[in-house]
Amino acid sequence: MKDVLLTAALIVAIFAALIVQEFLPPLGFMSGARIYLVPVLFCYGALILPYPLMIVLALVTGFMSDLAFLQVVAGSVEIPVGWSILAYVAVGSICQGLRPLVLQGHWELHILMSVLTTITLLALQFGMISMRRFEQGGWVWNETVAWRIFGPGIVALVLAPAVYFLATLAYGRNEEIGRTARGY
Amino acid sequence: MKKINILLAGVAVLIAIVLMLIGTGAMQSLQRAFLSFTAPFSRTGAVVQGLGAVGQGLKTLDQLEAENKQLKTENTELRATNQILRDIEAENAKLRTALDYRERSLFRLVAAQVITRDASTWWSTIKINRGFEDGVEAEMSVITDIGLVGKTMTVSKNEAIVMLVTDENCKVGAYIEGIQGATGIVSGRRVQETGAALLEMNFLEKLAKAQAGQKVYTKGVGAVFQAGLLIGTVESFQSRELDGQAILAPAVDFSTLSDVFVIVGVQ
Repeated sequence: MKDVLLTAALIVAIFAALIVQEFLPPLGFMSGARIYLVPVLFCYGALILPYPLMIVLALVTGFMSDLAFLQVVAGSVEIPVGWSILAYVAVGSICQGLRPLVLQGHWELHILMSVLTTITLLALQFGMISMRRFEQGGWVWNETVAWRIFGPGIVALVLAPAVYFLATLAYGRNEEIGRTARGY
Repeated sequence: MKKINILLAGVAVLIAIVLMLIGTGAMQSLQRAFLSFTAPFSRTGAVVQGLGAVGQGLKTLDQLEAENKQLKTENTELRATNQILRDIEAENAKLRTALDYRERSLFRLVAAQVITRDASTWWSTIKINRGFEDGVEAEMSVITDIGLVGKTMTVSKNEAIVMLVTDENCKVGAYIEGIQGATGIVSGRRVQETGAALLEMNFLEKLAKAQAGQKVYTKGVGAVFQAGLLIGTVESFQSRELDGQAILAPAVDFSTLSDVFVIVGVQ
């Protein structure tokens, strides 16, 4: 029951994060890199929740993220709704492999996964856009693109510990969870 | 891995694939519904953002005391010069300009406020507080009294997403004033530097010889952009193997954009 409540709380938090993200200004010193809260929140859930609830979280997170950033150009969609679900299911499945370690107290894995997820999602987005627009402008890679992909990863590095400890405080993770994970 | 988990993952992948295969119209309808759902939160966020700006002005007690003294002196001076009336006059003039623009415009305009800007990494878009309830539809020009801003994309009940002219996907037929036959396509660049966005005008004649400072206007081809809207000014021109390319500075400053107009028809 507690896990279901955490899932619901994370869904609300991710929805709120999607709105808050829009109001956070781009970071000028990182060539306009943006702050992404959603992957950090998702990774927390994926590392703590059991597999079925992680799938639910991945479905909702991916669906909302895609709708928030859907771009329709000349009657066709640039990146279709649904691709983020695939990405979050894949990331979540990897996180599930690390779950026992996280439940034993290895919180640093949340940082690692948050950084990797943020960078991977942005790199995938950029890759899809580049492939789609290849004919009109070829492949573009410069310092700005690198910052826009890796900058949010650096931000996630800073945000992840705060999110982890705040969420853990609210969720009340304790020895009981550790024992459950170890199969006591 | 348990069988049930594999099954769940399979169902999630299936849902994702089904969603990816639905038509553009259906995806846009979903986004429209999502925008309508998030609209109250976005508006609250915009108000909170405004309040946050007030918080930035908080100072220490000492600073406030010093400032208070200074302000008292200043206040006397201000009374003497009737500065307040001048401020009101300036504000009045600004509003009159906006109103006048709306009235003298050849187009039927809907005034809108920018709720969020630069909300994504790869696309140059803004969100405005006008939707189909206000007569706004997809693929309508968005302007300011200075020039072209972009065009509407997804429109919900009370909000619309506007693709800026600085986006690579926003293509506008345009001409350079003062040069016979200097027409081309203006678009943004794939990744724009924040605060220093430039536009490209491609497919110009090789011998167009555009000069820095020359103005570029919409040509009015296609159904979206009306003719004669100022896009920007030429920064540089280069002759390439097959065509000429001009780099333009947009007329509108997108970093401070707060009020726009949507062209919903002709007067």
